[in-house]
Amino acid sequence: MESNSLELDDIQSGALHERPTPYVGTYLLLRIDDRAAGRELVRRLHGLVDSGKTSQDPAHGAWITAAFTYQGLEALGVPQDSLDSFAPEFRQGMAARAAELGDVGQSSPPNWEKPLGTPDVHVALGVLSSDQARLDAAAERARRAHRELTGVELIWRQDCYQLPTGRTSFGFKDGIGQPSVEGSGLPPSNPKEKPLKAGAIVLGYPDETGELPPMPSPDVLGRNGTYVVFRKLHTKVAAYRRYLRDKAASREEEALLGAKMVGRWQSGAPLALAPDADDPKLGADPQRNNDFLYGDDLRGLKCPAGAHSRRANPRDALDGDGSVDVRLHRMIRRGTSYGPMLPDGELEDDGVDRGIVFVFAGAHLKRQFEFVKTQWLNDGIFVGAPLEKDPLVGTNDGSGRFTIPEVPIRRRLQDLPPFVVTRGGEYCFAPGLRALRWLAELDT
Amino acid sequence: MSEDQSAVATEASRPGLSAGPTSEFSLFFHVKPGEGESIRAALRDLQETPGYRPGDYGMAIASIHEARFVLFDDDTRLAFVTSFDGSWDAYMDDFLTSGPTLALFDAIFSHTEGYDGLPDLAALQAFVLGAQQTAAAYARNYGGTVKEIRKAQRVNDAFQQVLDDPDAADALQHPALKPLLDEAAD
Ligand code: HEM
Repeated sequence: MESNSLELDDIQSGALHERPTPYVGTYLLLRIDDRAAGRELVRRLHGLVDSGKTSQDPAHGAWITAAFTYQGLEALGVPQDSLDSFAPEFRQGMAARAAELGDVGQSSPPNWEKPLGTPDVHVALGVLSSDQARLDAAAERARRAHRELTGVELIWRQDCYQLPTGRTSFGFKDGIGQPSVEGSGLPPSNPKEKPLKAGAIVLGYPDETGELPPMPSPDVLGRNGTYVVFRKLHTKVAAYRRYLRDKAASREEEALLGAKMVGRWQSGAPLALAPDADDPKLGADPQRNNDFLYGDDLRGLKCPAGAHSRRANPRDALDGDGSVDVRLHRMIRRGTSYGPMLPDGELEDDGVDRGIVFVFAGAHLKRQFEFVKTQWLNDGIFVGAPLEKDPLVGTNDGSGRFTIPEVPIRRRLQDLPPFVVTRGGEYCFAPGLRALRWLAELDT
Repeated sequence: MSEDQSAVATEASRPGLSAGPTSEFSLFFHVKPGEGESIRAALRDLQETPGYRPGDYGMAIASIHEARFVLFDDDTRLAFVTSFDGSWDAYMDDFLTSGPTLALFDAIFSHTEGYDGLPDLAALQAFVLGAQQTAAAYARNYGGTVKEIRKAQRVNDAFQQVLDDPDAADALQHPALKPLLDEAAD
């Protein structure tokens, strides 16, 4: 077999490397009205995107990631047989997958923020930096790449920034549970989990099955690319706080119920290691805060089987099922936070939009993102609770239920409303650098 | 039906394999030429019959766990595959005389070869058992009969209702209730 070592220099760094902390960033969506202008844009982006390891040097500035929707690749003139070689879910686009994904009612595409989910979205750019000045400089470079190009239109922009607390809108630290990837050069955050095969995240390498995942053709386009999902998720923070206030007798109990829903305390300390009380030191310690499994807690007395983190990554909890290989469903997450914090203690909605821009990177849209969303977050069959969904992000409708195992008697939360509303999103493909050049030089 | 006939039928039926109290029962029929579409329609009708509709959970025969009708080989063959609590053999006469099932199945079987229709029950029995093939392997993933499962569900529903009561933790402390308390935590 040929060498499988990752061609880091050809891979956009967003997929394999952590974002800075703290961060500020902006997401830009562009529409290509003129093919030649689109290719010129890609040529310029080729010089702007980051590959290889993200420099830890703060002077490095910002990194830019570029990705394309199916319509975007079509607008650039990618030949049809090549378009046809992409994953079916990518070809359909996220809006077409709404029913499967549980994006219904308030979350359904007709209610999405325009132009999300429309054929106008062609290019998605993510620019992230550790401070505003550098972000502005990088965003300016990105803007120059498209500004004086007539035929490329900026159609949407979403700024994001880490809240001063370092937490997301519900109050929790995030971005902790993350698989490590063979060859990425980053140490695993969970020493109990073997690094994922590179092909689970980057196309062109064997994945966890030992096979090469289906890769778009020609090779130069597919290799070193990765699928990217982004979803703007509005969080109903006031409703969430009121729900906990209703169900709990004290602030301590509120914190406990919140932690049971997530599987971690607000500080990030996992229930598996800190079952009874928050342990901020543990939460803040990257050496320890992801170093755990669930095998000693199959009944979920420490961390409920239905908690968000445990659903999204059950670790070893399903090893006895004989039918689930959790490693096939791991993903890289690069979510960021948008909107201001709801002031502490506020229980009334202030009408301000806040939430997370959920970002996924992986080689398999269906087996990774869609599987986790549909089978593990929106459904409870896999934990023996078909009536239960993810208490935090599941498609609950006011009749949701959440079981919290507890001695002597389990507790059951009833009437869960939805706390997260999908504002829109897209399935994208982030090509490698050679592929960007290939796209820029298309002459169809 | 005479003693004689049921003995013959029993022998021919090579009873299905069993797993505990439950046995598999698998029948394979030939669809009459050109009747693929009509048999599909008959199966759609069955699917819309109360008890067979999605979400109903109340089939006419209370002792079968599930039933599937599969048309295959371009709708020229039909398989009827089910799991049944007790012995099909022993109960065969009863099925054939116990009302609702018979009429439902008659509409389906009328599109299969070798079926002479009602009311000759002896012929019907021979027809059914002649279509039976014993599984080469059979396993189940839980031990209960349909009735036991239903009972277990009722008891669990009641138990969950008790657990939802704020006084449950106290009430379950009685030593006599220890086995229940052990199940109360999750
Ligand atoms: C507004 C929506 C969401 C919020 C507020 C949210 C919040 C969180 C939080 C607080 C954690 C624990 C901290 C951490 O490990 O980073 C977490 C973990 C995680 N979430 Fe979400 N999440 C959301 C949506 C989603 C969605 C849609 C998915 C996947 C389809 C997802 C997948 C994951 C995964 C894989 C983990 C890591 C689990 C682990 O490795 O232990 N999340 N999320």
